[in-house]
Amino acid sequence: MGLKIRLGNGERRVLKSSDLYFIQKLLKTMRNPKTRFDSREFLEKGQDYLFNYVGKNVGGIDEGRRNFLKGIVIGVAAATVVGVIPGLRVLVPPVEQVSGFPKSLLLDSSGNPLKASSIPVNSPIITLYEYPLTGEPNFLLNLGDKNGNPVSISPVEVVVPQTGKTYKFPGGVGPNNSIVSYSAICQHLGCTPPYIHFYPPNYVGPSQLTAPEPDTLTAQALLAAKQADIPALIHCDCHGSTYDPYKGGAVLTGPTQRPLPTVLLEYDSSTDYLYAIGALGVATYPEGADGVPSQDPTKDLDTSQYGSSVGDKTQVQASTNPFSGS
Amino acid sequence: MSLSKRVSNWFSERLGLNDLPFFKTPDYMYHVNEWLGALVAASFIYTVISGLILLLYYNAAAGYQSTETIINQIPYGSVVLYSHLYGSYAMIILAYVHMFRNYFAGAYKKPRELLWILGVLMLVLTLGASFLGYSLIGDALAVSAVDVGAGIITSIPQLSFLIPIIFGNYDTGDYTRVLALHIILVALIGLLFVFHFFLAESYGMMPSRKVKPKAPAVYTKEEWSKFNPWWPRNFVYMSSLIFMTWGFILAIPNALAYLNGLPQYFNPFMNPKPAPPPNSPAAAHITTYPPWFFLFLYKIADFTSDVVVFLMIGVIIPLVYLIILPFIDRSDELHPLRRKVFTGIGILMITYLIQTSLWGDLAPGVEVSVKDQVVAYLIPAIIVALGLTFIKPMNDQMKLTRGISPMTGILFVIVSLLFAGSVVQLIDYPNLFTFAITAFMGSLFFLGSKTMGKLVLSQRIPNNAVPEVKTAEVSASNETKKKFAEILMSVLFILVVIIVAQMWTIPPTGYASNLFGVDLGLVFLMLGEVISLYHYVVYKKPIEKEE
Ligand code: FES
Repeated sequence: MGLKIRLGNGERRVLKSSDLYFIQKLLKTMRNPKTRFDSREFLEKGQDYLFNYVGKNVGGIDEGRRNFLKGIVIGVAAATVVGVIPGLRVLVPPVEQVSGFPKSLLLDSSGNPLKASSIPVNSPIITLYEYPLTGEPNFLLNLGDKNGNPVSISPVEVVVPQTGKTYKFPGGVGPNNSIVSYSAICQHLGCTPPYIHFYPPNYVGPSQLTAPEPDTLTAQALLAAKQADIPALIHCDCHGSTYDPYKGGAVLTGPTQRPLPTVLLEYDSSTDYLYAIGALGVATYPEGADGVPSQDPTKDLDTSQYGSSVGDKTQVQASTNPFSGS
Repeated sequence: MSLSKRVSNWFSERLGLNDLPFFKTPDYMYHVNEWLGALVAASFIYTVISGLILLLYYNAAAGYQSTETIINQIPYGSVVLYSHLYGSYAMIILAYVHMFRNYFAGAYKKPRELLWILGVLMLVLTLGASFLGYSLIGDALAVSAVDVGAGIITSIPQLSFLIPIIFGNYDTGDYTRVLALHIILVALIGLLFVFHFFLAESYGMMPSRKVKPKAPAVYTKEEWSKFNPWWPRNFVYMSSLIFMTWGFILAIPNALAYLNGLPQYFNPFMNPKPAPPPNSPAAAHITTYPPWFFLFLYKIADFTSDVVVFLMIGVIIPLVYLIILPFIDRSDELHPLRRKVFTGIGILMITYLIQTSLWGDLAPGVEVSVKDQVVAYLIPAIIVALGLTFIKPMNDQMKLTRGISPMTGILFVIVSLLFAGSVVQLIDYPNLFTFAITAFMGSLFFLGSKTMGKLVLSQRIPNNAVPEVKTAEVSASNETKKKFAEILMSVLFILVVIIVAQMWTIPPTGYASNLFGVDLGLVFLMLGEVISLYHYVVYKKPIEKEE
């Protein structure tokens, strides 16, 4: 619409419809008794008054233009919202399902490959690494005898008391075949270090019976160690489960019904590096009620939501020695 | 009535937007200067939101590892983490600016004493919360910062009971307490903020000195009921400021994440990434320094071996001074040059804060002899004292036509001081960084002196422009500017759409993921800018008088 004028052949617009609207609104406001235009003041102050008046009462802007601008603002705001949407993925925790066990090189705490021959024998310090998933701790042990000399760990048949079935533990690796690795999650109710940890020979004795948590040994545990004739053991302070690190993490005393799962290690004698390549035994993540394993580690891993795969490298961390008195 | 009108009416009726007791704003107050508190609040809100997202992932039992997991494995985790860090940085800086602006404006005077005290307490809480938040990273720097902090506390035997209360089992890598206290302090800030905000609303924004030159500076109910209502103009203006603040908070750190191999002295200010973990060999190669906002304290610790003296100089005296300020500056003068003692102290506080922080950055942990201390701190004091003695309060009428406010004057004084300070630093530590700072301050000083020169010069030339003619010119150029603003808005719209389309293709983790933060920051900046242009076109009046 609007007002047009004919000039020769061309049509020219004199006033846009929005201008007309503006004039109409202005006139209405000027006539309105509440906002009456004061012509006397106008004569006195001139344009100054006019501008102020228009600005205050009509608004310098006509409706159409204002709507167009509003449209742009809303458009940009909408685009911003659209831009934020992919960012909302931050709320979705990354769950990387693992279909198998990765081959992970063990790194030391500074990120260099760990030398197998540098692992101290019978160390009371808890050495852990995550495998196969993050948040999933495993012990790394270099086992020795009473005098701290590494002992070769031979393959053995491990019994699962819960099912009565057995599986074959392949023995130790490393220069002396003395390095083994077990899950550090107690198979009873899932306690983790420092409650479950390794007791080197000098801590397997009657004095440990009265030691404060998490260093207590039960009398049963001591007796079992004596009967099995092993100098050191893995013990969980939560409810007293004891495991035999020399025989594939087998159950020494309850209440646990399952041995500690073994992490399979591969030793590269040319570089002295260690790799974690798989797990063995009952599932670390038993499916179904009561933690009854499905006997298929891969399947159990599939349904785990614990963390994401550690990938081809995993770092060893040494936690402090829980034996605070020593 | 159009649909959108009906919808917005429905909401404003239900929410009672028009009768909210919020302060109405006079036309001349639509300058960022008057809205610094909104900027602080914007960064606070941003930091809280991003912090809550981080809380979904942070594991207090393994601080460093979970920080690394957030950065490397959570989708856009590094974007959230870095902007959380810079949100708090922004909040600290803006809180200082907000505080000192009100300090020089005399905004702590009657009736705003309580408002001021609440503000000072919030600053303390903010610094505390930031320190704890910084510690949560668990990297070598955070651990050493905590060690320094804990060391300071332990050296006063009566205070060592605080260590387990604050840090819990921090030594064994358990950050549960630090995290909990971090959140508790932030909650306290939020609580005080509510009081602070509603007190500010009930007193109203402080009128321009030209309107009310003396305390108590408040508009009467009659006066302010005529101003612009809170909805929509205030709201529009405020949202533009909020979005721009968010834009900077997002864009800067994520861009900085791509900077590599910064020289050590830039690290505390510009590096959003964590340092190596404390138990790694790499940690041995880094110089430890506290977070930048505590560099000044770290340096003061080098001045004296007596912790009580240190706490007095670094914490207690400045704090007590700020808190009791409304009660010692009892005059009703608001003009900074009519309160020369307090203005001088304020300038010196800023100067010392910056000077000591830079010093701590350049020479962390290097002990300073008493003589050097005296030299370093006496020079600025003398300059300020001399400067203030000779500067006279400018004629108000003059400023109206010249457009140079006393704030500009003060800024110039500060810049001159910083320039002088940096020259001293350059002589003490001649290296690239001090040179850069000196050059930067020097150029600011140069620009400032040009402006001031103009002022001095034009004072001699009689101004015979007729006001009416001027007005017409102003409004004509105003219209052109508005046209230009509209074009700019359309351009920004197109740009935003392009950027957003690109954002959808950025991978959520890995090297490229920080681009998402940069882009999102740009989008927020442009949104803020578009709203600000809209405000300009729609609401800006040809003449906004200081009524
Ligand atoms: S969880 Fe280890 S014994 Fe119960």
